[in-house]
Amino acid sequence: MTNVVIAGYQRSPFTFAYKGALAKVRPDEMTAQVVKALVAKTGVEAADLEDLIVGCAFPEGEQGLNVARLIAFLAELPQTIAGTTVNRFCGSSMTSIHMAAGAIAMGAGRAFICAGIESMSRVPMAGFNPAPHPGLYQRYPEAYVGMGITAENLAKKYDISRADQEAVAVESHARAAKAQAEGKLSDEIVPIVDGNIRVEQDGCIRPGTTGDDLSGLKPAFDQAGSVTAGTSSPLTDGASAVLVCSEEYADAHGLEKLARIRSVAVAGCAPEIMGIGPVPATEKALKRAGLTVADLDIIELNEAFSAQALAVMKETGITFDNTNIDGGALALGHPLGATGARITGKAAALLKREGKGLALATQCIGGGQGIATVLEAC
Amino acid sequence: MAEIRKVAVIGAGVMGAGIAAHIANAGVPVVLLDIVPKGANDRSTIANGAVARMLKTNPAPFMHKRNARLIETGNLEDDLGALSDCDWICEAIIENPQIKRDLYARLNEVRKPGSVVTSNTSTIPLNVLTDGLGDAFAGDFAITHFFNPPRYMRLLEVVKGAHTRDDAFDALKRFGDEKLGKEVVDCKDTPGFIGNRIGIFWSTVATRSAYDLGLTVEEADSIVGRPTGVPKTGIFGLGDLTGIDLGPHVIASMIDLVPANDPLRDFVDAEHPLTRLTQKMIADGYTGRKGKGGFYRRTKIDGQTVKQAIDLKTGEYRAEQRSTLESARAARKGLRALVEHPDKGGQYAWTVLSHVLSYSADLVPEISDDIRGVDLAMKTGYAWKWGPFEMIDMLGADWLADKLAAEGRPVPALLEAARGKTFYRQEGGKAYILTTSGDYAEIPVAQDAWTLADKKRGKEPVKSNASASLWDVGDGVACLEFHSKMNSLDENSIAMIVAAAKIDKLGFKALIIGSDADNFSVGANVGVALFGANAAMWPVIENGVASGQKAMQGLKNAPFPVVAAPAGMALGGGCEVCLHSDAIQAHAESYMGLVEVGVGLLPGWGGCKELTIRNIANKRRPQGPMPALSAAFEAISTAKVATSAQEARDMQILREGDGISMNRNRVLADAKKKALSMVEGYAKPEPIEVNLPGPTAATAFQMAVEGFAQQGKATPYDVEVAAQVGRVLSGGDTDITEVVTEKQLLALELEGFMHLIRQEKTLQRIEHMLTKGRPLRN
Repeated sequence: MTNVVIAGYQRSPFTFAYKGALAKVRPDEMTAQVVKALVAKTGVEAADLEDLIVGCAFPEGEQGLNVARLIAFLAELPQTIAGTTVNRFCGSSMTSIHMAAGAIAMGAGRAFICAGIESMSRVPMAGFNPAPHPGLYQRYPEAYVGMGITAENLAKKYDISRADQEAVAVESHARAAKAQAEGKLSDEIVPIVDGNIRVEQDGCIRPGTTGDDLSGLKPAFDQAGSVTAGTSSPLTDGASAVLVCSEEYADAHGLEKLARIRSVAVAGCAPEIMGIGPVPATEKALKRAGLTVADLDIIELNEAFSAQALAVMKETGITFDNTNIDGGALALGHPLGATGARITGKAAALLKREGKGLALATQCIGGGQGIATVLEAC
Repeated sequence: MAEIRKVAVIGAGVMGAGIAAHIANAGVPVVLLDIVPKGANDRSTIANGAVARMLKTNPAPFMHKRNARLIETGNLEDDLGALSDCDWICEAIIENPQIKRDLYARLNEVRKPGSVVTSNTSTIPLNVLTDGLGDAFAGDFAITHFFNPPRYMRLLEVVKGAHTRDDAFDALKRFGDEKLGKEVVDCKDTPGFIGNRIGIFWSTVATRSAYDLGLTVEEADSIVGRPTGVPKTGIFGLGDLTGIDLGPHVIASMIDLVPANDPLRDFVDAEHPLTRLTQKMIADGYTGRKGKGGFYRRTKIDGQTVKQAIDLKTGEYRAEQRSTLESARAARKGLRALVEHPDKGGQYAWTVLSHVLSYSADLVPEISDDIRGVDLAMKTGYAWKWGPFEMIDMLGADWLADKLAAEGRPVPALLEAARGKTFYRQEGGKAYILTTSGDYAEIPVAQDAWTLADKKRGKEPVKSNASASLWDVGDGVACLEFHSKMNSLDENSIAMIVAAAKIDKLGFKALIIGSDADNFSVGANVGVALFGANAAMWPVIENGVASGQKAMQGLKNAPFPVVAAPAGMALGGGCEVCLHSDAIQAHAESYMGLVEVGVGLLPGWGGCKELTIRNIANKRRPQGPMPALSAAFEAISTAKVATSAQEARDMQILREGDGISMNRNRVLADAKKKALSMVEGYAKPEPIEVNLPGPTAATAFQMAVEGFAQQGKATPYDVEVAAQVGRVLSGGDTDITEVVTEKQLLALELEGFMHLIRQEKTLQRIEHMLTKGRPLRN
């Protein structure tokens, strides 16, 4: 089977929806700038690309039509490069990587750009025109359960205290703030420029966040619950992209290989505890790679909610020490469709930077799913 | 002088900033400047801070948050140049003549020729302010005195100096009237002008006499409150509201300025026990609602919040004691019954009123030549229900003069002149006022500013019943007036709406709907529905709703233009009347909304239908049916009330082409003008059909509301009521590919209404509203 590698990772700054610096930037424009920067930085010959695969959780409005094709035009990729938009909610852009890897493995292309897009300012979560199936909602309301409630459910099920949730958030902010201060995020970030707007830095990180800051917040989803805005990832605007290609192509063109894709998996779970999705997905992916959690050096586990990340750690034995070492979504933000390519690209980049052997990127997905990617050093 | 198109306000304190906000409310750009504080990073921090603070102030100085953008902030060192294109510069800085004059000298260097400068001073004489600044400046100078808060207090006192140009002064007055909606009252250049001259005397007499006559604060407020036509806070409650610390300042400044023989001096005594008590309260931080408490306070005792009042003799707080004065009840029979009552409340009322009315009568012509101006000032500046001279008419000028004489007190010359007469008189359809010479002068009614009373005078209604009437307001236009208690709508009101929809048969060509009442209509009389439900008279209730729907549709489909002219509250059914009119001409201070869910019901007279249609038809709202329906759903399911006509426009209650009148006195005239403009070529509206998403939208709403319930933002019964609202707005069992007619929407409303009126929890809500006056969150 053809080896598939990640040979580049870039993202936009992540900023708060509505009040952040990217709120007024169209998501297609923002993503195109990231794609363009990735092409420039990796040195990949654009004409060699097979497809631009863009993950998006709410593909409508400015993210509508086939936004991948439009991004290709905006990024001035050659017309010969195809484009497709994929949706698996928060797992969308990790799915785009999986699709590229599968295509490469079967010889259907050598190089792909796998991107993620989400302006939660400009396309609301749940879309402009939510139209749930009345019968399904009546019979099985869990199908449409709100994300915050799934975190509450996990907090209850795994007996996760509010203080424990807040400790994760405090640590996530501390790690992200440290990484930012030490310049460890600057390599991956593409400044976004649009008219008079210029955004160079992440905007969601709150350095110096303490448990006291968080303990005063009101529950955000259930008045009797424990999940607050401080222990939930914020609504975020952002875009991300990775270059996925065959190892052979990377070697032939002298591209810098960040990591090799060892295995991938998706799995379904109960929607009302969708946050546990990484557990079955990780189990499957590790099994396919012939590995166990203990073998992993670097883990990127998306922090949709503190409670959710803690539940996954409890269930899998993943430790927080080697997870999200530059901070997670609680601090960095979670632009739904863009997160998968961020954490996969980040895991690959960390393997290289830290000189480690094996990494996992995994995340939960609304509706009850998990997705996982196992990476190894090249 | 040309029109005032741009204004500057100097001084961003409470008054200056509030004036700037209200000018912005009128849609006029305004520059707001203040000094640069020492060491400030932001050199315009005072003005910027004032605007930021006003965006959070309640009651809101802005009629719409967007209006804040019309204020250009700056400071007096860097931004004087911004004044160069201002037509009016209003100064509202510290009350110090030298500082003001120094400022005027600087303004003179930058302001454009012919611009007018005014001071918002309440104490400094005009000629002192212009001293040494030359004739040209004096020609451009006047006093404009606003009352706090400028958006809500309708009085604007204006003083013309000896040199003030007529055209500049007229332009100012016109701007104050038409753009700012103020009751502009001409004042002479005397201390405190009209409002504060009488108002400060009144409050001084009222507080001191309460003490001297041994009344508790509750007793005093039960008399110098509603019974004497004063807001229900009464005199001590008013002190708590405005700040007890303010009192000594204003009294001290007035005492310095009033003539040597002014009766105010008889009531101001630094050694009086009440003066000492208030000094101690201020020193201890008991400055009223903004401080630790005032004459009243709420405090926690054993975890329970209790209301307390201060004992004026001991200065200690004690549990609030309701006033049981019989005189307060006797006041229902009239002002005279109150002041003649033998108990201490009656004596107190007599003491306060006799002094205040004598004082007012003695001040004409010193402070004004026009008793009507005096009355208007007290009504719109101090929110009195009646002005002093109206109160004298209520008591009887002869009676008052005789009683004063009998007590050996001086009788004011004006009161003597009024013997055998009244200050106000109506005759032959005209209104007259007593002048200082003892003659009557006609009160002119302007073409473009009148009250319904002006049109009704000396006439019989075209039609009338207990709750509503139809009047001829001239030029072929009829006016439908609601006049039930709080203008709640009952079957009589509905009958009159039906009659109003046929006035073309009586030769009218247009209809306006409005009145002089404080509130357009507080909505349907739910007491009737509660009574029906308790007796299980379901068909009667259903008929009531259906006939209301029919009446509203009749109004909408009448073959002539219908213009609603709301002012104050237009809630529930009152809002539905507006929604079924061809156009709305609203007073800027209109509070409109569909509030039925507050009593566990949904808008059943076409409110759901109209708000749905208005939102769906709004071309500015793109992207499918849900954003439109969500807007209507949010408005109805949360009983949202617009806090101004400008906000009602956001809610689609007002549509494009609907107008807003800033001045209450112009609302009906503007509505009539609008109705007449629509007569030619009028075609009744086409029946509307809309595509609605059906159950999927209802499901989406249900999901959202259940989320709110889980967050604790909605009660379980809110979820049930909202489900019915959601069902109506989404079109019931329709599909997005099918059209829904107005008739179908009305049928859905009726069905939803009848479902809800049968629920015990709805009846609990109605009962709670009727007995407690506020919604029950069950």
